[in-house]
Amino acid sequence: MPEKMLLKEMEKDQSNLIRALQSVQENEGFVSDERLKDISNYFSIPPVEVEGVISFYAQFKRTKPGKYIISVCDGTACHIKGANLISNWISDELGIKDGETDSEDLFTLETVACLGCCSLAPVIAINGKVYGNLERKSLLKILRKFKKEA
Amino acid sequence: MIKRIKIGTGSCGVAAGADEVFDFFSENIKDIELVEVGCIGHCYAEPIIEVETDKGSIFYEKVEPKKEFLEKILNLENSSRLQVGGNRTKKEFLKVTELAGKIDPVSYDEYKSNSGYNGLAKALLMKPEEVVEQVKISGLRGRGGGGFPTGLKWSFLAAQKDEEKVLICNADEGDPGAFMDRSMMESVPHQVMEGMLIAAHATGASSIFIYVRAEYPLAIKNLKIAIEDIIKYKINHINGRKIFIKIKEGAGAFVCGEETAMINSLEGKRGTPRFRPPFPTDKGYKGHPTLINNVETFANIPIILREGGTKYAKLGTKNSKGTKLFALAGDLKYSGLVEVPMGITIGEIVYEIGGAVKGEVKAVQIGGPSGGCIPAEHFDTPVDYDSLTSLGAIMGSGGLIVIGNNRCMVETARYFLDFTARESCGKCTFCRIGTTRMLETLERITAGDGCEEDITFLQDLGDKIKKGSLCGLGQTAPNPVISTIRYYKDEYLRHVNEKQCNALECNALVDVFIDKENCIECGLCIKNCPIDAISDDFIVDNSKCTRCNSCIEVCPKNTISRIPGGGISE
Amino acid sequence: MSKIKITIDGKNYTAEKGKTILSVAKEMGIEIPTLCYNEKISNSNSCFVCVVKDIKTGKFLPSCSATASDGMVIEASSPEVVDMRKTALNLLLSEHTGDCEAPCTIACPAQASVEEYVRAGKNGNHLEGLKIIKERIPLPISIGRVCPRFCEQDCRRNITDKDEPVAINDFKRLAADLHYEEYMEERPNLNGKKVAIVGGGPAGLSVAYFLRLQGVSSDIFEMMEKPGGMLRYGIPEYRLPKFLLDKEIAHFEKMGGIKIHCNKKLGEDIQLDDLKSKYDAVAITVGSWKPSSMRAEGEEHSVGGIHWLEKIASNNWQGENPGKTIVIGGGNTAMDCVRTAVRLGSKEVYCYYRRTEKEMPAEQIEIDEAREEGVIFKFLSAPVKVRIENGQKIITCNEMKLGEPDASGRRRPVPIPNSEYDIEADTIIAAIGQKTITPDGLKLNKWGDVDINTDNGQMDENVFSAGDCVSGPATVVEAVAGARIAALGILAFFKNEKYKKAYEINVSRGHWQSLKKDDLVFLNEPIVRSRQKLSYIPLEERKTTFKETTRTFTEEEIAKEGERCFECSCTAKSECKLKDYSEEYAAHPEAIQGAKRIFNYDTRHPEIILDRNKCIKCGACVKICKEVINKTLLGFVNRGFETNLATEFDAPLPDSCTECGACIPECPVGALDWRKKA
Repeated sequence: MPEKMLLKEMEKDQSNLIRALQSVQENEGFVSDERLKDISNYFSIPPVEVEGVISFYAQFKRTKPGKYIISVCDGTACHIKGANLISNWISDELGIKDGETDSEDLFTLETVACLGCCSLAPVIAINGKVYGNLERKSLLKILRKFKKEA
Repeated sequence: MIKRIKIGTGSCGVAAGADEVFDFFSENIKDIELVEVGCIGHCYAEPIIEVETDKGSIFYEKVEPKKEFLEKILNLENSSRLQVGGNRTKKEFLKVTELAGKIDPVSYDEYKSNSGYNGLAKALLMKPEEVVEQVKISGLRGRGGGGFPTGLKWSFLAAQKDEEKVLICNADEGDPGAFMDRSMMESVPHQVMEGMLIAAHATGASSIFIYVRAEYPLAIKNLKIAIEDIIKYKINHINGRKIFIKIKEGAGAFVCGEETAMINSLEGKRGTPRFRPPFPTDKGYKGHPTLINNVETFANIPIILREGGTKYAKLGTKNSKGTKLFALAGDLKYSGLVEVPMGITIGEIVYEIGGAVKGEVKAVQIGGPSGGCIPAEHFDTPVDYDSLTSLGAIMGSGGLIVIGNNRCMVETARYFLDFTARESCGKCTFCRIGTTRMLETLERITAGDGCEEDITFLQDLGDKIKKGSLCGLGQTAPNPVISTIRYYKDEYLRHVNEKQCNALECNALVDVFIDKENCIECGLCIKNCPIDAISDDFIVDNSKCTRCNSCIEVCPKNTISRIPGGGISE
Repeated sequence: MSKIKITIDGKNYTAEKGKTILSVAKEMGIEIPTLCYNEKISNSNSCFVCVVKDIKTGKFLPSCSATASDGMVIEASSPEVVDMRKTALNLLLSEHTGDCEAPCTIACPAQASVEEYVRAGKNGNHLEGLKIIKERIPLPISIGRVCPRFCEQDCRRNITDKDEPVAINDFKRLAADLHYEEYMEERPNLNGKKVAIVGGGPAGLSVAYFLRLQGVSSDIFEMMEKPGGMLRYGIPEYRLPKFLLDKEIAHFEKMGGIKIHCNKKLGEDIQLDDLKSKYDAVAITVGSWKPSSMRAEGEEHSVGGIHWLEKIASNNWQGENPGKTIVIGGGNTAMDCVRTAVRLGSKEVYCYYRRTEKEMPAEQIEIDEAREEGVIFKFLSAPVKVRIENGQKIITCNEMKLGEPDASGRRRPVPIPNSEYDIEADTIIAAIGQKTITPDGLKLNKWGDVDINTDNGQMDENVFSAGDCVSGPATVVEAVAGARIAALGILAFFKNEKYKKAYEINVSRGHWQSLKKDDLVFLNEPIVRSRQKLSYIPLEERKTTFKETTRTFTEEEIAKEGERCFECSCTAKSECKLKDYSEEYAAHPEAIQGAKRIFNYDTRHPEIILDRNKCIKCGACVKICKEVINKTLLGFVNRGFETNLATEFDAPLPDSCTECGACIPECPVGALDWRKKA
């Protein structure tokens, strides 16, 4: 995990903008309007440009995600081994579609580019932890475990 | 006698449960040293444990955190030993990955005691231009996809007079299906760093940036530890200059693998490519001359310096020297990371190393979304930059996906285009709108709404997108479509004319059917159907069915199957 | 400065080192189109419209950014380069939404600038309105009264007020009523060319008009006693008072160079061959005057609708009471007949039509007015034969039912067996259509109409034709539209050219039937108001006299009605670079189809409208604001196809933008524009 860094420790140079945004997201889970303004002020970059950077990169979230972020890998290996079925099964189980968070703010479902665990395809990651060689049964077991824990 | 036990805790290993195994072993073993190492490339067998004995190493595969495994391993039993499939040991040529998975990735000492930093030491005794010359002699070409001669590129930067010159390591491995760079950074971070420091000496660079995907936390962690040691041991002091080293995490944009886009991203901007010229080696990061090489390229450098360019150039073909790493995945038995000499045939990789069954493989997709597919008929093609290009594919960064006979090529092309369309930065008209229009057309075809003109349209627009885009993403995005039309036009035609998908992958062209002859009426399918599309008398309502496969997965008798759409009626 | 040698399109040139291909080409006089390039800002090199091909490398380069280097060989206009540009434009069009032109203007057969004259009317500038109208419609008094209003059928006001489009035609009528006589067009001196026009109806008069505006004089030969054609002899007085028609036609001779010769019939008083040799060109605009046959036995006991009207027209809209009258047919001529019969004193007027009211080709307002005036409609009735028994006319009809749709999409009437019945009548009028009586020596098509090249109205050599004799019976506005093409065809013919309308594209947000209010972009939030009501003279007066049935809207009514207009067309329609280049490169909005991103448009700023649906992501506004004005109020967000123009936290543009507005003239497509028109 990248080290946590405070804004004021960073040099006020645009090349640190992405790092600053990553720090905020690590701490708060997303980049709120407030934080966006802070960063804009700190680096003297107009908000609309900061927004342009945030929205360009898939990593950044502008809304608060759920407690568990489920990332379904749609890398090539996972795709040919049925990543779309995995997504559907999760949707059916949790009632959320790609990009959505459930009403209890528990799960956020997202499709991501390759997690780099192609030989274990299909895989998902829940809050960064990777689960591989999934089939319907093992997937549902994992999801239900998280539901129970919550 | 057991010297120590190594557990592979690279990302693949962890995903397969290596962490749990490590915890269990460290709780239960007190007197033997337990080390976490990187990846030896045999991902299909993870978690893997290597037992170092005085008589050599013994590998165990698919280890579970259980007492029986512990005992097996401590007794050096025969069962559960790693079975290396096929001819892999003969066909592989471990050069760059020689140390991967064998040494503690973050141990400076262990790397050093395995000839680590000898290349740098040798380089420092040479003049910078002599180092560049060695790289030129080695014939090394960029491993990130383009295949530009590395020595030549270095000479461009070396020729620059700027006080501040920048070296960037491209570790933004974005190709879905590729994990060579991740594995190298996780397993041998010092080797990658050594290559960069040699480059800094050769080119006179004063700063090094490593641009890593944020999705690779372990790689980042190991690199950081390695850098700390480099600074601690002052390895970054080169000819009296202190080289500045910094890791920069990417934020999720495939296009940032493109040199000029990466520079924009490093500067904290939107990752859109810049028009070239000026080339980065003239004017790059913050206006300074900048050189960008990929992880695997840098990892080759210490070896070239150690053994000399001439020796290095002995391996490989006329225009492609050395070895190449491939991330092997898809429809084959032994997936994982392999290192092969340039010039090996695709067939050798797929069948002899990967253990795929002849006759069951349709094609390989090489080079990820920028590459093309190569049909099984062409598997005698040698792996080198030029042969692959002539087949409409590219070497790419090294993703190699084996596509079985049961896969639909139209759907495969659609998948890759979906990826590139989403990753297009949106700057150039052709790529921004064109890839989306191609994707929509492919979606129409896979949904059974296509016509023959759609195929011509895809070829024509694809050709123009390649010509009318500034960067590599747009220039290669149509490749998967164009190459699948080139080799599998019959599949496209079947989709558009007969509305059939031979592979039964395209949901809109497929029905789900319960063979009532063999059905035992257990009701599991009905229970598991998320939308109640199966009636009490076990008939699938295909107008309702979403083709989610839930019933097929749960059926204990395998009586439920996908059949051609509209094929069998009640 | 050192020099480089470069070849562009086969021409060698020596240029200063360091210039872009674009600027070198410009020096050489080679035009390269650009969209995202703008001298005031740093290069975006993103649109790829300025693409050229480097022959030595085989690569396509954005010429705005690629530097010309020594020995370069460039193709800037080869078919391959043109095809690349065309595709780039097609791609841009495929995600571009807006309305190049308002749907009303597109719907108008004459392509009159409807939105513009409605706006002039709204603002009380009726003379200005008349000027705009007369650019395409030389007969605004007549057309302002009798037009079936194609424009109103496509008016988007139908979205919020179903069946209450803006009363567009009434703007014409008022403008013409107010200013027709005082307005005289600017005309060049006569250039010596002279055209013979056969037929003094709307088409003939219009050919003469459009020719005169270009300095060509004409002689109009009219077979009847007075000019005007169907306007005079087919359209009843109560719809178009003839004193107004006289006033309208008088203007043509006032223009100088147009002479109308009446009582001259082709084949009798004048000969085509003579005209062809004596004049520089001939225009055949003889109309369509022969009533179609009922194909019923004993037809000779009935009278053709158009003949009957002509007789009454010739008698100054006076005549005998026709008694019990049966009119066969469902078109506008049938309506003219029944309503004329009422006005001549008949107490019993019937209209027999073989289908139902829904299928009637007549305008609904005509049907409604006829019904108000006491006409009785009998549907699903078709004549079989007419006979006279004891001096009494008797018509036998069949009852019909509707079967399968025919080629026209209307359901075909089929007779019900043994359903014949007889009705007695004093007058039986067959108003079921007209055919062209074609003079000898003309080329005919399979319908018996004059066969022309529709691009330029040319029949043969120096003979051109337009109007009903080409199209079969149609509307006045269609005759005028055809006449303009024939006039332009003649003018081009004089220069040894062949006229063809320039290629034009129109990006449309869609027909109103497929749209909701939210799909539209309003310059101003539309006013809630129903359509101004047409006022009629008292019913009794309508039934007993030929006085004009309706009165012209007042200026206040028109001003109010004008406020109902949504002003659909693009604010940048006359200065859109995307449209201009698309037309130059034959790109088409539907050439490449696919989903369009629907963005919110932004009308929150009082003076500036930001319509992201038009944006082509050239980035000019973003860079002008940042690099020239030093502000950064705009920026791009998202990436790829989703790339979008954004403001800070999606706030409206600040009021201070009103004083600056520097980005607005730089937008090539009107995505950012002043919130006003004309």
